[in-house]
Amino acid sequence: MSESKRLHPVAAVSSAIKLIKDALIPLVIFILFGGGGVSGRWAMFEFIAIPVFILLFVGYGILDWLRFTYRIEAGELRIESGVFIRKKRYIRFERIHSLDKTEGILQRLFGLVKLKVETAGSSGDQADATLTAISKNEAERINRIFHEVKSSGKIASAAETQEIQGVEKTEEIQSVFQQSFRELFIMAATSGGVGVVFSGALAFFGQFEEIIPYTRLFTGFEQFAKGSVAFIAIIVVFGLLFAYLIATAGIVLKYAFFTVKKNEDKIVISRGLLERRQLTIPLEKVQAIRITENLIRQPLGYASVYVEYAGGSILDKESSHIMLFPLIKKEKIQEMIRQFIPEYEIQVQVNPLPKRSFKRYQFRVWLIIIPAAAICSYLYQPWGYLSLLFMPLGASWAYLCYRGAGWNITGNQLQLRSRFFSKQTFIFQKKRIQAVYSEVSPFQKRANLASVSAVVKSGAGPRAGKVVDLEAEDSDRIKEWFFERKN
Amino acid sequence: MTPQKHISEKALKVWRLTGLFISIACWAVMIAAVVVILIFDWPLWLAVGIGLLAMFFAYIAIYLVPLIRWKRWRYDVRETEIEIQSGLLIIKRTLVPMVRVQHVDTKHGPLLRKYGLASVEISTAATIHEIPALDISEADNLRFYISKMASVVEEDV
Repeated sequence: MSESKRLHPVAAVSSAIKLIKDALIPLVIFILFGGGGVSGRWAMFEFIAIPVFILLFVGYGILDWLRFTYRIEAGELRIESGVFIRKKRYIRFERIHSLDKTEGILQRLFGLVKLKVETAGSSGDQADATLTAISKNEAERINRIFHEVKSSGKIASAAETQEIQGVEKTEEIQSVFQQSFRELFIMAATSGGVGVVFSGALAFFGQFEEIIPYTRLFTGFEQFAKGSVAFIAIIVVFGLLFAYLIATAGIVLKYAFFTVKKNEDKIVISRGLLERRQLTIPLEKVQAIRITENLIRQPLGYASVYVEYAGGSILDKESSHIMLFPLIKKEKIQEMIRQFIPEYEIQVQVNPLPKRSFKRYQFRVWLIIIPAAAICSYLYQPWGYLSLLFMPLGASWAYLCYRGAGWNITGNQLQLRSRFFSKQTFIFQKKRIQAVYSEVSPFQKRANLASVSAVVKSGAGPRAGKVVDLEAEDSDRIKEWFFERKN
Repeated sequence: MTPQKHISEKALKVWRLTGLFISIACWAVMIAAVVVILIFDWPLWLAVGIGLLAMFFAYIAIYLVPLIRWKRWRYDVRETEIEIQSGLLIIKRTLVPMVRVQHVDTKHGPLLRKYGLASVEISTAATIHEIPALDISEADNLRFYISKMASVVEEDV
């Protein structure tokens, strides 16, 4: 029906950049170690090789763009692509699970969007089809066809042939969740991302030890620093603070303007400051809800809410568990979930574990800490004794884990709660659970305890909620509940 | 509520054979160690210790583990659900509703085939469950039964 279309030329740039990015690490290694000791004519080799490589990549990007065409025909999105191997991919509109709209910096410069199309079978390493750069109107057109097919079962010919006039539409938006800036900053400041950035920075600077003459740099003030441990401490503190700020800023950029809208039976999530992202999920594909409270947020009364979702590809980890509410006051979760996914009941009485399982939680922690502390204390005489400090820490951690665990059954809903570092509450609907496991170790058997886990589909693989050491009777009750099928 | 059906008794033989193969590989390493000990005139008790260890290991791998595993392995395939029990020390029980079953496979490697056995693999959208070592005819029947039951009870995923 509609003729074949090319993507916007920006797609060529984008794929070239992607290629260069992928090749960056080998290239850097090549520069650093490649022509190290060679002199004479070959010394200049790398200065020629690298521009050649980059030119090749750009050329490939352009070819890739030239060969990529798509069209909408006979109820299918038909994509033909590939420079050396021609690939034709036809996706039926009714098979599409979700549309993921991203506006990267590059796309935003030209008023374009990147559209990812996902079907249930996206078990490969990437989305089923990615249109790297198309105009907003074009994305809107595809989006509308997708929605029409979902509701009517076939494509209205009008939508297929006509270009839409203007972008505004009458959509029925029932409820909205908007992340306030205050909460955005709290979220960024309390996320665990800091550790990642810091260890990353450490590794990074470690890598360059050979190139940057640290020793020469530092011997100068080594004399000076030797006197003051305080000086080093201050540097470390500032380093940490810097890493923390970077991590926070990164999260703010990523999750700014976080908005969730409910549109009939779909949830539309959009976020991002520099790179704007919009994701549409049909409600019936939601497999479970997960509420996470990390150690810093819990005392402040905040939690994050995720939805486990059956679409999405493996590598794209973000797409299989999607943040629904990045940061929300705990008491508000119930109300918001009721608006968005009314099936789920959040505020229920969670049954705690029996007292005797506390012993087992303690035991498991001590099993690691005591030998470790003993070895440390023995080997590193004066300072090793510091490791004894881990004992009270471990004990309180075990207590928190014990207190964090619990379960509940309400109607057709199972709630499993546990803590490792963050407290995780999984809320399952019976009809979404793929399997239930129970485990009994000899020790548990003696204490009449058991562990239970339930598995749902998330992305292409499984995702399990688990409670360790609950009353054996309760474990049986959960299994019986799962047995009962409504007939 | 414990599942009742045992898997084929021949499974025990197959597992013992597997245990034997593993033991032989271990013995090879241990014999090499003993030879080294003798060559370098290290204390003899080391060699004796290794020998005892090898015997102990063989006892566990060939006798004990297969036996316990076989005793633990139970399964039940009912109209609406499949229940599987497995484990050595930790007893694991799995419950899979028929409606969740997406497909069933039977398969057998050379060792299982020699004893006329096959294992049944039950796949849901997210998990795979295995019943190892059933008689081939039983495995085939089970496959047919499960796929029939799974298509009877239809529910939206």
